[in-house]
Amino acid sequence: MLFNSLPFFIFLPLVVLIYYLLPYRVRWIFLLAAGYIFYGFLQPQFLVLLLLSTCVDFYFALKISESQNKSFKKAYLMFSLCFNIGLLFVFKYLSLFLKDIDPMMANIYRAENPIKGMVMNAIYFSIPVGISFYTFQSLSYTFDVYYGRQKAETSLPRYAAFVAYFPPLVAGPIERFHHLSSQIFADHKPLYKNFANGFRLMLLGFFLKMCIADNAGNYTDLIFNKPEDYSSSSVLVGMVMFGIQIYADFSGYSLIAQGASIWLGIQLVDNFRTPYLSSSVTQFWKRWHISLTTWFKDYLYIPLGGNKVGMPRWVVNILLVFLVSGFWHGANYTFIAWGAIHGLTYLAEHFTKPYINISDSKNKLILFLGGIKTFVIVTIAWVFFRANNFEYAMQIFKSVLKPLGTQTLEITNYVWLVMGVFVLFDVVLYNKRIDSFLESKKWGTRWLVYLILIGCILMFAGTVKHPFVYFQF
Amino acid sequence: MNKMIFRIAIRILAIASIALSFNAVFTKFIWPEELAKDGPELQKLVKINDSCDVLYFGESSNISYDPVKDTITTSISGLIAELLPNRKLGDITHQAYHAGIYLPLIKRIPTNGKVKTVIVTLNLRTLDQACINSGLETALQKQTLYYANQPPVWIHLRAALNDYDNISEHERDHKMWKQWTDNKLEVKGIKFPYPTIKTWCEAVKFPLADGSEDMSKRTLADHYVKAYAFVIDENNPRVKDLDEIVKVCKAKNIKVMFNILAENTEYADSLVGQSLVQLIRYNRDYLVKRYKAKGAIVIDNLEVVKGKDYTDQNWTTEHYNYKGRKAIADNVAQKLLMNN
Repeated sequence: MLFNSLPFFIFLPLVVLIYYLLPYRVRWIFLLAAGYIFYGFLQPQFLVLLLLSTCVDFYFALKISESQNKSFKKAYLMFSLCFNIGLLFVFKYLSLFLKDIDPMMANIYRAENPIKGMVMNAIYFSIPVGISFYTFQSLSYTFDVYYGRQKAETSLPRYAAFVAYFPPLVAGPIERFHHLSSQIFADHKPLYKNFANGFRLMLLGFFLKMCIADNAGNYTDLIFNKPEDYSSSSVLVGMVMFGIQIYADFSGYSLIAQGASIWLGIQLVDNFRTPYLSSSVTQFWKRWHISLTTWFKDYLYIPLGGNKVGMPRWVVNILLVFLVSGFWHGANYTFIAWGAIHGLTYLAEHFTKPYINISDSKNKLILFLGGIKTFVIVTIAWVFFRANNFEYAMQIFKSVLKPLGTQTLEITNYVWLVMGVFVLFDVVLYNKRIDSFLESKKWGTRWLVYLILIGCILMFAGTVKHPFVYFQF
Repeated sequence: MNKMIFRIAIRILAIASIALSFNAVFTKFIWPEELAKDGPELQKLVKINDSCDVLYFGESSNISYDPVKDTITTSISGLIAELLPNRKLGDITHQAYHAGIYLPLIKRIPTNGKVKTVIVTLNLRTLDQACINSGLETALQKQTLYYANQPPVWIHLRAALNDYDNISEHERDHKMWKQWTDNKLEVKGIKFPYPTIKTWCEAVKFPLADGSEDMSKRTLADHYVKAYAFVIDENNPRVKDLDEIVKVCKAKNIKVMFNILAENTEYADSLVGQSLVQLIRYNRDYLVKRYKAKGAIVIDNLEVVKGKDYTDQNWTTEHYNYKGRKAIADNVAQKLLMNN
């Protein structure tokens, strides 16, 4: 089920109502069922994959916990790791290699070999939504059990309730077992404060997705589909629009997930903290997709030795983490390039820190200039992220430096208006969450914010379909 | 607990009031431009409602002409209007429209208004799988949303939440191929050479003397099979739309006429064979019988246009030259006169 769809507006209140009507001991079972219904609404054919991933990780984590032998523990961890990476490879990376297949081909396979045809059809026509998110969430649990940070769960249904918890299921935030499961099984009372805060988070989330990301997406598509037709300034605007689209889209989704979860009394981790207001790329990564960054830190960077290794090894580790992070998004050189740009900038900032330390500066002008620099680098990197291939990314840059076209991007007045509201909110909410920010304000301010956000959603939401960008990951 | 429910209820009411106020602002300042872009025929319909007594719903067949030979390029609806100077005829013509799109527009015709008769173009191919699962369908379905009689801000919100049939082109292709592969061609009294569209298409061949194949003929024949080799029944989504149109018109006290368009049966025969022509006729008969029984007037133009009068000689379309359009217009005008 998509958050930005009418069925979700029925599903969520219904789930919340039933959840609080049930005795708290059985609520988690209801949440488990709700998770499977939520996912099944989108792709019922892939429910079995979710179940399989849950069972495999549950089994190996239990085996790790029961085993006394270190080699066996490691072997079980490797099995779990290989299984999850195998899943990602088959259902995500393989489909990217096959994406240019003509749909007719799948039908030809179907005629010749029904099983092969079925697999081809499944692969071609849909990549399992959220597979990278729930496999990473599930993997984190196996790692935690392996490192002794987490006791293995002995009940499969209880573990399944953690994996299938619906708000973060398809696009995060990537949760950890210790943080989420304790809340899933706790007794939550329906509190007005939770409903109010959940509403505030969801309202901002819907505004970001429907008004900002969907409107920006219209311009992004125009420019990225045919950069050669547009003037230099239009291509630049298109690049910036993609930066805005992906941020609003993904942070919007995370906010809706957090808000929906708070209605059930369950807090999810923060995933974004006004990343575009960072004065360095290093700082950007502390504020962008936080749950994935901390995942890579805990399960890749630290096991590789973290900062307790020599300088050359540390450099390799940092680059590796960024490259894997790029690869996590998809098997394409463009994602590797995106990761490499961030990794190299991160290293450059580290080595120049003794001479140019922007992040810790007290001078607002320096911070502002640092912010501009960060935004430029991040926007350039996004071009690789968005482009279908390397040549295409280069075409975008060429179109900026030596434009072939003369068309200009015509941005409507109401898009300027909502973009202005977006920037205003981002600046006002610098490093803060909207729920806690509004909680401390008087009712007049709160309702003014509601009025602005509701008005924008009702009147200026984009009407062209743009799926959540991160659904493909 | 009760206090909390009361507080939430008050806030929901407040938000509903805000939404109502925004509906007024939206309707006045934003809606006209959005409607012109996303629901282009509604404003035209509103004007026609006030000025015409006959309303013609057409698609590209209405306005197509032979760009080389046609000296008269008047549309079918225009020719009908010329034949009946005493009637005021308006038209809603939009490329690729079909019964599913005409239906919400017909629902917007006011009861007891000026419009007393609607002529609905009934293109046989709009009932085939290629059309039902066409790549244009998502955009058309979005338009139907804009034709609904609902508060504009609610329509806008529904469009933003993609609350219409918006599945991807890949999924539509997939559905279409599944039907072509799985649907069995079975009609009492007609013997089909092949059980499905897929097997039929695979079998149609045009060998040449040198051992190669006439691919242009094969492509065209393939297209004819895909366009016409289907059996209409009451489960066809377009049939459901047509049924609904009859029902809506009855309720509004409007006469409904279905204008079955001409199809190139001559070429269907020469390229594929009599069994395909028999199937086309079977489908026509099914529609004539069904809608006459429901009280609609059905104009059967299926074979009134000769093969050479189709402007697209290398594809299956209902695009006619002047002679073809005139033949259809004559039939429609005659039926209109008879049923005045």
